Amino acid sequence: MAIGASPAPRLLLLTTALLGGPALGDDLFIDDQALPEVLTATRLKQSPAAVPGSMTVLDEALIHASGARDIPELLRLVPGMMIGYGAGNQPTVNYHGSNVSDARRMQVLIDGRSVYRAGLATVDWSDIPLAIEDIERIEVFRGPNTVSYGANALMAVVNILTRRPADSHGTRLKITRGENGIDDFYASQGLGWDGGDLRLSMSGMADDGFDHDQLGQPYRDSRRLTRFNLSASHTLTPEQSLDWQLAAKEGSNQRPYTYQPVFPYVTQRGPDADAVAKDYAASLRWNIDFNAGHSLYVQGSAQHFDRQQVWRACDASLAFSPELTRLWQLNPNYAEQVARRANDPPPSDDAEQRALVEAISQQWRSGASEVVCGDVDQSTRETRYDLEIQDTLSLSDSVRLLSGANLRYDRADSATYFNGSLDDQTWRLFGQLEWRADEHWIVQGGAMFENSRLTGSSLTPRVAVNYLITPRHGLRAVYSEAVRSPDMFENNVNWSYTVRNLSRNVYGLQNGEYFVKTRGPGNLDQERMRSRELGYNGYFSDLDLSLDLKLFVDEITGMISEPLRNNQFIASNANKARFSGSEAQVDWQLNARDRLRLTYAYVDAWASNPADRRLSARNSGSAGWLREWGRGWSSALFYYGDDALNQYRYERLDLRLAKQLRIHGTRLELAALWQQRLDNQPITLEQNRYDSRHRLLFSAELEF
Amino acid sequence: MRRLLCWLAFCLWPLAGLADDEVLLVGGEAQSGYRSFTEGLQARREHDRVQLRTVAQLPRPSRLDPRTRLVLLDSAALEWRLSETSGPAALALRVNRVQIQQRLGEQRPAYLSLLWSDPPLARQLALTHYLLPQARRVGVLYGEHSRFLLAELQQAARHLGLELVSKAWDDPRDSRPLQQLLSSSDVLLGLDDPELYNPKTVKTLLLSSYGRQMALIGPNAGFVRAGALASTYSDQTDWLEVLDHLLDQPTAHWPRSLYPTPFGVSGNQQVARALGLEPIDPTAAALAIGAGAPAP
Repeated sequence: MAIGASPAPRLLLLTTALLGGPALGDDLFIDDQALPEVLTATRLKQSPAAVPGSMTVLDEALIHASGARDIPELLRLVPGMMIGYGAGNQPTVNYHGSNVSDARRMQVLIDGRSVYRAGLATVDWSDIPLAIEDIERIEVFRGPNTVSYGANALMAVVNILTRRPADSHGTRLKITRGENGIDDFYASQGLGWDGGDLRLSMSGMADDGFDHDQLGQPYRDSRRLTRFNLSASHTLTPEQSLDWQLAAKEGSNQRPYTYQPVFPYVTQRGPDADAVAKDYAASLRWNIDFNAGHSLYVQGSAQHFDRQQVWRACDASLAFSPELTRLWQLNPNYAEQVARRANDPPPSDDAEQRALVEAISQQWRSGASEVVCGDVDQSTRETRYDLEIQDTLSLSDSVRLLSGANLRYDRADSATYFNGSLDDQTWRLFGQLEWRADEHWIVQGGAMFENSRLTGSSLTPRVAVNYLITPRHGLRAVYSEAVRSPDMFENNVNWSYTVRNLSRNVYGLQNGEYFVKTRGPGNLDQERMRSRELGYNGYFSDLDLSLDLKLFVDEITGMISEPLRNNQFIASNANKARFSGSEAQVDWQLNARDRLRLTYAYVDAWASNPADRRLSARNSGSAGWLREWGRGWSSALFYYGDDALNQYRYERLDLRLAKQLRIHGTRLELAALWQQRLDNQPITLEQNRYDSRHRLLFSAELEF
Repeated sequence: MRRLLCWLAFCLWPLAGLADDEVLLVGGEAQSGYRSFTEGLQARREHDRVQLRTVAQLPRPSRLDPRTRLVLLDSAALEWRLSETSGPAALALRVNRVQIQQRLGEQRPAYLSLLWSDPPLARQLALTHYLLPQARRVGVLYGEHSRFLLAELQQAARHLGLELVSKAWDDPRDSRPLQQLLSSSDVLLGLDDPELYNPKTVKTLLLSSYGRQMALIGPNAGFVRAGALASTYSDQTDWLEVLDHLLDQPTAHWPRSLYPTPFGVSGNQQVARALGLEPIDPTAAALAIGAGAPAP
């Protein structure tokens, strides 16, 4: 076939265009069909070595092999991530640490939409309307980055990217059954047509949570939920596309009955404080590529978080006395003493208080000691509307500018927490410039300005310098500042319990106002974080090994760390915390069959409030070995360890064995997951205990 | 009628003088690109008479002087030549193996020399191996009409110690084969099959592979601008050199089909950077592949 002995590469230098390709259009032999430029300068991301910070990517293979049922379990694979449990259905995720019961310093995004609750600064991991099977990958930015991800990206950002509809054609069915009442399902159907793709998925999850508390009593913390997701994308023109998503989740989360009557002799109690949680989300994104160096998107989203929680409260009818309420407002500690000794109240020097105490004593004598029960409605409804415009402009081959604006409206409705409703408006402007000074140096810097009606304005800068030794080995130095705005709850809570449907009319009323009332200070400042980081990221291509190392010092000032309880809650910016340490992450594809993955974090945590030190394990990490045995068999062995989370050790070994069968175009995977605890400690809190140290799950997945 | 006759006479007049120093370039329609190519060939072959004609300007092939050497520039010209067995020998340029397989199957007419425009597979594989030495599993999508290339590709892969993972993609609107292929390979190699790689599928192909930090090599230089990592290619200058060489030989010595020997490498530096690869040096890459590879 050949006319020469060997191919002869042309040695003359090519007339290369910007991209290094040959000049097109005037050459008969270079295919000049009208191909759009798809991977443009604006669409391409930095290589791992050039990322201005620490990043952990949990890819689909890893997510699948882990056998994890929810996102917090997956995040154990991220160095420095501390996974705690308020209860079985209340996982909390903190990067490096802070409070056990609240995780409010991390931004969580699903395809660019923040799922951080609008009113009560928290992420309800169990209630996110997203099945793990729909996740393509999770990118965790370990460190503050408000410039790119908005306020609340204080300690880290968990950026969840779902599978593109174009990548999820066909049918997938999966069921998982296991001990602890595990009963999950997933079903999805994806299809494509000329100019569009769509995926519909339905999923459900149920488990019993922990088995018993420290007293051996059954623990009420199971969850049951169903979810619906619809994700579609349309190509409008070669330059424009439209993506939209609809998501909904409904389910119930058991909550134990924890109400302690003020009057100790009251023994009646309600059965539970279970919550019905519904989440709804809709988003629409319009992408426009003006040219290869300039693109823009506009994204609008609406979310609604509905938590219905009504429980039965029983107490002496004096608890609803208007006089006791007034006394609480004047002097809460004294009011509590009076309530506890109503037949013989301690004296007061203040005339007004003395008069109130007199009235209270009178009420007590005329029957206020009798027990009444009623319903407490602790429900909340939160809504968020968000509009963002982001522009990416490649000014030259070495300079890229990202800028944008965001407008957000948050509203929270709750009779208990806000005595009605409260809303807030926030806008922010952000910009970041990426400059490749030469093949070795990259400077990336930016700032965000945010203004919120309730909490005022702030400006946060960020600068990172990367030195690329080669394109695959980079050193980085990062300085960033970040803020977290106090949420409506911390700053503006107006907390009181109205007890409805009383079993007996008190003071002539059908409803009673519980005398304990709490108001947020209303003038809280933002928490401020200063973070410094030195890091290295490298990929050794001959070994197929990637390595990331990080040294960090993070300081939070103006920290709001008072626990959210209605008889103690006086929020302030009085606290501080400091986290320093190191982290390492290794991902090694030993050969075509074996993959090893190791993470380790050493965190030295100090906090002015001891509660903020508890969820920091000094040593934590994970190790994973994924192997393909051939003939469709695969295994994954994972170890997870924290030396002390809230003083409790946590060590677990997971072994997942899977067999894949292929029959024509159908793939069936049968898998078993064995989870073995290596210690005897409760998980995070004293009451979080399982009957057994091991757990077995089975799953079957069909794809065609 | 008289005007028509005059016009025909004008058109056919130069043919009367055609002889063995005649090179006739034939295209479906007159294009400026064809004209400059004709000029380029004339400049190299001063002793030949190089002329450009459209199919409409020519009689049936059998009516031409058999000593004329034809150079077919497009599919319309190829169809015109295929319409008759008798006639002058022809060099068919800008033909794609997949399309010829569809048109001719295994048939190779003796009067036709097919000069493939799609990059040779062994060369593309060698480029893949050169740019991504750690990639072992090379994923290849094929269609109904490109399936026949697999055996050849398999052989080339074995030669380089690579594993070929292939997947049929019969309906490009269904992305499942692509997904399955991406999950079981280290790099994607594009076959120049217009039913698989075209403006409609390019977005899915590139976004899905980049989403998994995977590079696409090929299928041709046009895709490099769109976002493929690299491809080998032969441009007009290369082809003029090939033609020059072939026209020096008697037509009886022309091969039935041929890949061009001279070639270059086109690389997308931004994609290389985003994948954390060294910048692509096209000259060094072409040299390395040329030195290591046997003739395609």
